[in-house]
Amino acid sequence: MAETVLQTHALRRTFGPLVAVESLDLIVEKQQFYGFLGPNGAGKSTTIKMLTGLLRPTSGDVRILGRSLATESVEIKRRIGVVPEGLALFERLTGAQLLNFVGRMYGLDRARAAERSAELLEFMDLKDSADKLVADYSHGMKKKTALAAAVIHGPEILFLDEPFEGVDAIAATTLKRLLQRFISHGGTVFLTSHVLEVVERLCTHIGIIQNGRLVASGSLEELRTGVKVAGHDHSPLTLEEIFLQVVGGAKQDAEVLSWL
Amino acid sequence: MLTLRWRLFVNSLRRPNRGAELGLQALWIILGSMLVLLLCAAFFGAALTMFQSERADFLDLLLLALFLIWQLAPILLEGYSPGLNFREVARYPIAFRTYFLLNLAYGLSDPAAIACLLWLFSVWLAVFMARPDLALAAALAFLLFALFNLFCNRIVVGLFERFQSTRKGRERMVLLMLVLLLLPQLLQFATGAWARGGTFRLPPWLIDAINLVREYFPPGLATHAFLYAWPAAFSPFAGLLLCAALFLLLLLRQLRSVFQGEIYAETYKVQRELKVYPGLKVPALDEVTSAIVEKELRYVRQNSRLLLQLIYPPIIFLLLAFYGPGRRMSFAGNPAGLLIGLASFLLLSLPNMAYNVFGLDKEGFGRWLLSPMPLRKVFLAKNITHGGILALLYFVVTLALAAAAPISLLQIATVTVGFFAVLIIQLAAGNMVSVHWPKRIDLTQMASRMASTAAGFTSLLVILPLGAFWAAAGFAAWYWRLPWLPLAIGLAILAAGLKLYSHLLDRAAAYTYAHIEEIAGNLGA
Repeated sequence: MAETVLQTHALRRTFGPLVAVESLDLIVEKQQFYGFLGPNGAGKSTTIKMLTGLLRPTSGDVRILGRSLATESVEIKRRIGVVPEGLALFERLTGAQLLNFVGRMYGLDRARAAERSAELLEFMDLKDSADKLVADYSHGMKKKTALAAAVIHGPEILFLDEPFEGVDAIAATTLKRLLQRFISHGGTVFLTSHVLEVVERLCTHIGIIQNGRLVASGSLEELRTGVKVAGHDHSPLTLEEIFLQVVGGAKQDAEVLSWL
Repeated sequence: MLTLRWRLFVNSLRRPNRGAELGLQALWIILGSMLVLLLCAAFFGAALTMFQSERADFLDLLLLALFLIWQLAPILLEGYSPGLNFREVARYPIAFRTYFLLNLAYGLSDPAAIACLLWLFSVWLAVFMARPDLALAAALAFLLFALFNLFCNRIVVGLFERFQSTRKGRERMVLLMLVLLLLPQLLQFATGAWARGGTFRLPPWLIDAINLVREYFPPGLATHAFLYAWPAAFSPFAGLLLCAALFLLLLLRQLRSVFQGEIYAETYKVQRELKVYPGLKVPALDEVTSAIVEKELRYVRQNSRLLLQLIYPPIIFLLLAFYGPGRRMSFAGNPAGLLIGLASFLLLSLPNMAYNVFGLDKEGFGRWLLSPMPLRKVFLAKNITHGGILALLYFVVTLALAAAAPISLLQIATVTVGFFAVLIIQLAAGNMVSVHWPKRIDLTQMASRMASTAAGFTSLLVILPLGAFWAAAGFAAWYWRLPWLPLAIGLAILAAGLKLYSHLLDRAAAYTYAHIEEIAGNLGA
């Protein structure tokens, strides 16, 4: 039986009267590439923040690698890597300084942190900008730096909030290469994304959240069998079709913007 | 444009849970408006007095002050009144003429421009009261002078926006402005010291040069254009007209290039070889704390504004101790007083670093929360860096002073213990303030302060009672002839301060965990 590396139980988060996440029960197993989807404002980022210690749940439990996030957060943080929504980069360090610093924060000795920083900068095609301040990086370069910072200590699970947003095709390919390599070496990835094509190509398992509730979860095949689309032929459903069916599709063009 | 300015201003006040900040800002605005009205009376009174004492030729000095405020205030106060970058406005489908007029309208609605127009009107009112026969000519001259100021200001703001389009340009601009602000103080201090010694005289060539500039500079031209009788008034009037026309042409040229899409980008020299420096290990600190200290030192090194604020007090005190008549005054009187002054000045600059410890981290604040270590360690490492920098400055200047002045060992020990006692308490308070009133610092904005207004007031609440206490201890020592008393009290306060520091360190960390979203929101993380 596969090892469960992430489990939430009745996870809930409110902001005043607004319920952002409600009764969220998630199970992610080792070496799964879990795509967490949902429309804007559905609660994806709130969930990932709660899973990584950036936001305290109003109620419910989070267990990662068999430990409770509420009581053993430091030990859990040592074993996970995160690319959060705002990237959380110290922008007044250079790319090289930032990676070396993050490596040391995770307990790598100075020589190893420097060595891994150089390797990651090379892999991410950031070598020529290694001595440039992160503040002067383009958005894609910042994303790649954030991902490099998330993996420098060799985590067991990666949490990525919209890693492909605003990233060009070349940078996206680099990110995908790194993630596939990570999975093949026994890692687990939990990511949120709006780019359904990428999720469909990369993810083994998918969860769909809407209005703070998990409305669908399983492997892509399980979702395909569970979702019926009226008038659809016998070809396999795409993730986009499944997604639109689950969250309630887009408005008909005739209904809106008649003047356009 | 007025509606847009008003809307930008109102929106800038909309921050969640910032009641204290908002109240203080409102207070500043009320005080600022009162100051503008007060200065209206001052400009009117000064101009009227000049006419009554038959020194109306000095009116150009009032106009010169007005010119400087009109040109510099919008840049110095940038950030207090959130601006609109006209490079962005050019994207909208508007004709160049409209773009040009919008730019002028925006410039006219600047608070500094409105204040300057009010003051100019006050001066005109004084001319009207004193010499009604000159009122019409003065009105014409002042109108031209106002137009010249408006064009010039828009050119200056345009150049400022050009600098603003790159991060390096923005930071250099802020540094230049700070140096310009501090330079007069330093010059005043130096020349004041000369003057006290009776040796300060402006050389005749400099006086001639100043008079020449006064004659042909627009404030002088505007004054002479209505004070001189016709036809002598023709040349200053024509000169002023020429100035206004020239600046109008320059402004049109500048705006056209912006309108046509002129852009400036950050430049960077690519390094040939990839080398990652492994970082330093601070003796007696563990690896993680060393890494944080190193990161903080890098941030301080890059913060030229902070560096300037840090080296300013030591420069002043070294000047006082080793230069001009100030040296005789300070050393002959009370050399230990100089040491106390140095310690106090340095401690007063501490809030710039320690009262908003996450302010420069901005988005990076989240990284502390993601890292596998307690937040207590982050606070501690930041405090070690900030306290260490101040301690280093204190020791360097103290050594220099002690080498040159008869300061006893007991006096040095007393001031040093007092310095560290207050430093520890300030750091403890700073940690609490940093999480209660965090403020995102933008080094590219002149008015972006290093800590919140509330933090500034809190630091005063901490330092004033401590200062009063030290003064009382000093007085008691003198009264009862117990020279060791302040040292003993200092040691007791230092011990209590360390205890308080440890307690507040835990409280600050706990508060941070409980208010993550609020703090992150204020830091823009």
